[in-house]
Amino acid sequence: MVVVTLQRNKCIGCNYCVELAPEQFQMSKKDGKSVLLRSQEKKGFFTLKSPDEAILDPCDQAAKACPVKIISVKSV
Amino acid sequence: MQKIELMAPAGNFESLQAALDNGADSVYFGVEQLNMRARASINFTLDDLPEISRRCQEKGVRTYLTLNTIIYDHDLSIVKTLVKCAKEANITAVIAMDQAVIMVARELGMEVHISTQINITNIETVKFYAMFADTMVMSRELSLRQVKKISEQIEKEQIKGPSGKLVEIEIFGHGALCMAVSGKCYMSLHSHNSSANRGACKQNCRKKYTVVDQETGFEMELDNEYIMSPKDLCTIDFLEEVIDAGITVLKIEGRGRAPEYVANVIKCYREAIDSIENGTYSKEKVIGWMQELEKVYNRGFWSGYYLGQKLGEWSKGSGSHATQKKVYIGKGVHYFPKASIGEFKIEAYDLSLGDTILITGPTTGAKEMTVDTMLVNDEQLEKGIKGDSVTIPIPFRVRPSDKLYKIVENKVEA
Repeated sequence: MVVVTLQRNKCIGCNYCVELAPEQFQMSKKDGKSVLLRSQEKKGFFTLKSPDEAILDPCDQAAKACPVKIISVKSV
Repeated sequence: MQKIELMAPAGNFESLQAALDNGADSVYFGVEQLNMRARASINFTLDDLPEISRRCQEKGVRTYLTLNTIIYDHDLSIVKTLVKCAKEANITAVIAMDQAVIMVARELGMEVHISTQINITNIETVKFYAMFADTMVMSRELSLRQVKKISEQIEKEQIKGPSGKLVEIEIFGHGALCMAVSGKCYMSLHSHNSSANRGACKQNCRKKYTVVDQETGFEMELDNEYIMSPKDLCTIDFLEEVIDAGITVLKIEGRGRAPEYVANVIKCYREAIDSIENGTYSKEKVIGWMQELEKVYNRGFWSGYYLGQKLGEWSKGSGSHATQKKVYIGKGVHYFPKASIGEFKIEAYDLSLGDTILITGPTTGAKEMTVDTMLVNDEQLEKGIKGDSVTIPIPFRVRPSDKLYKIVENKVEA
């Protein structure tokens, strides 16, 4: 199981996560910030739990590229 | 002589109030995203716009919203929202770099100022942007001679902005300079994916670097110089020439700086501009202002590019060269308005009679004074320590949101 978390309120809309993991992230045209697709929100943290291990690598790259370090990725 | 507008940076309400209290004619600020300080931990939000506008209008101070990053397609909606909210809140103008922001602002009937990121360096570019904007910041890389030529040409050719008035020229008067063309730097993007052009500069040019010869592996420390970190711009000692170049707006850099920086720098430049206007500007006064300016954050001073292409004025260290620093002492507790006495709780260090204190807060701004008398836990003592409650006569209101600092000497490395 791959767990991806996005602390959305700190996003500066740089678009890197979308470039590296387009299946999981999308830029919102509403507020210009990143959206973690199919995620659930709790106190500003958006979490996606996926059984698909293939998303681990692109999400990991997105987390590393994020300039404000608001993406975390875990394989559990 | 033309009246000069002194423009102050405001990163938060403390700085905004400090700018208003010390004589700024206008303030510029960002809200959350899409400005060059988007990464700053303290920033205004959209909801703050009405309050910013209210406080400034009360004092007749103009307000400028910076929207000066590069803009992606996904930002367009938020650009519209920001400009719309700014208009609704009666913000004076938007400072724009991207043509999309200029378009949106014009469509919504909002005044536009051209940001330094556009790098205007000639009269034809001024003519081009005059179709959209009334005020333009000149590139920091111009000399005063070049600025003067541009302003003379504006007058001669009667280049007017959308308002029908002659285009106004704005230049930076004080604060940090980049080794790169303003904002157009990829250093922080390469090292941390953190784009300066999106307001997320990591300032890694401000460090000391070693140069390595790839063929021999020979390493060289460059004479202890921070070769990518220019000293800060300071124009107070040749402000007459700056004003004589035909500018109408003098902009102070530093939205990421502390409120006491804004208070100090604006106060000095306010006095300097007023002195020039009333004919009392003098060398003695300049010496005094320089001493004051050195007290707050700086990397050493130089004249930028204004007096010719003098290069190589690099900073001698990674941090500030300020001669003073603030030490956190405690917080405001209560204010007794009839007696004009403020009560504070000391949470760190100590406070003695004769100390210079700084009180900062969102409504208080940044105010400095000396402690002449105080009561420590209701007793007349000379010193209060951590845990004590102290009361001090204060000529202005103190609030629980206020922070109390002590100003101490800062040992600057040679």
